[in-house]
Order: sequence, then structure tokens, then C-alpha cells
Amino acid sequence: MSPLHFLLLGTLLFGIGLVGVIARRNLFVVYMSIELMLSAVNLLLATFSRIRGDEGGAVLSLLLIAVIAAEAAIFLAMIIALFRAKRSIDAHDFTQLSQEHNA
Amino acid sequence: MSESIIFYVLALFLIGGASGMITARRTIFSAASFMLAMIALAGMFALLNQSFLFLAQLLVAVGAIITLSMLVIVSVNISERYIPKEPHLGRDLLLGVVIAAPIVALIITALRTHFAASFAPIPDTFGTLASIGATLFASWVLPFELISLLLLAALIGAVVISRKGERS
Repeated sequence: MSPLHFLLLGTLLFGIGLVGVIARRNLFVVYMSIELMLSAVNLLLATFSRIRGDEGGAVLSLLLIAVIAAEAAIFLAMIIALFRAKRSIDAHDFTQLSQEHNA
Repeated sequence: MSESIIFYVLALFLIGGASGMITARRTIFSAASFMLAMIALAGMFALLNQSFLFLAQLLVAVGAIITLSMLVIVSVNISERYIPKEPHLGRDLLLGVVIAAPIVALIITALRTHFAASFAPIPDTFGTLASIGATLFASWVLPFELISLLLLAALIGAVVISRKGERS
């Protein structure tokens, strides 16, 4: 296997995550798409580490897994708080910041 | 030879799981597809000789994060009418692909021009628990400690955010 296959795969996964963030309105799916983008970066880091034979990349990837865990905890708490506030998990219902004024 | 067969099978599961996640209409099916993709990603780490990352991915990403997400999805138990209908899902996904394609093309071009076409030779101990641990505590001690602070802050933040919603 050449490194390029792994790099292409990681980039493609990042792209799929980006499409999910852009196109979906369900907050849970948006959250999982962000996780997917982080995991794609994780795959790229592991590949770079293997290409150079340097374990620093693997350690960085390990630390990134911890960051993903922290992000998951915050995001899930946020989804629950948003659902309690508006009884909705539709991203189109949370647009206060893009409106000129609001009651 | 067998390595490349394993790679293509795992890639199929990875791409299929990721695509299934962003196209499924039922939230729990999205989560199940995402779990499939993360297990396949752990396999990719094993294929890259990163045996410790393989374990960490299985234990933390699959065993903790996705299980927690699924638990939240089923326990919040949002009734059908609060879930967005997304009537133009196909059109939205197509628009997303059009926006994401140039970015992906740019990254692929950059990676193609800058990275070696072959893997460096590695020692037998590459990626094992002992070897990663030695590197972690030799030159990555400060980031490691900072990550523990970040996790603590995220934990407290999660508790505070979900309690604030309860009071109002």
C-alpha cells in the first residue's frame, strides 16, 4: 500500500464530513459529521507518522482522540440544552445570530 | 497483496459508513453507520502499524464516544414531530458536494505534491504501547498535562450547560 492511498482516503472522509455539516439540519448528524472530520485528521496524522517513521505523529493523534472526547461531551450537553430551550433539534431554528433584530 | 485487499475492504466500510451517516433519515441509523466507520478507521490504524492507536480508537472513540452519543439519542427520545423533516435532502447534499469538492481537490493536490511515495523503514517496536509511552513522556509531557486540564474543563462545562437548561 502506498501512503497516497491513506492520504486520499483521509481527505475524502474529511470531505464527506464537510458535506454533512453543510447539508444536514438534524443537530445530531451535524455533531457526528464534525466528529468524522476530526477522525479524518486523525487518520492523516497516523499516516504522516508512519511515512516519516516518527512516533510524534502517533502521540499527537492520541491527544486528538482526547480532544474528540471533550468535544463530544460538550456538544451532547449543548444539544440537550438547545432542545430544552426550543423543543427542536433543527439547525434552522437556531438563527438568532444571523437575524437583524429579534424579540 | 493481502494487505491491499484488507485496505480496500476497510475503505469500503469507511466510505460506506460515512456516506450512510450523512444520508440516513433516522438519527439512530446515522449513529450506527458512524460506528461502522469508526471501527473501520481502527482497522486502518492497525494497517499503519499503529497498534496502540488501534486500541485507543476502539476503546475511546467506539467504546465511549459513540456509545455515549447513541445513549443520548435514545434516552432524550425526541418525538417524531421535533425532528427536522428535511424535504430537500437530496438537493442539499448535492449543494454540499459542490461546495466541498474544490476544498477536497485542493487538499489532495497539496498532499500529492508534498508527500513521499513510500513508507520509511520502521523498527519492530513502532507504534507499540511501550514505545508510544516512552515518546509521550519524553517529549510530549506538557501537551499531555494540558489535555488533562482540557478534559476537566469540558467535563465541568458539560455539567454546567446541561444544568442551566434544566432551571429555565
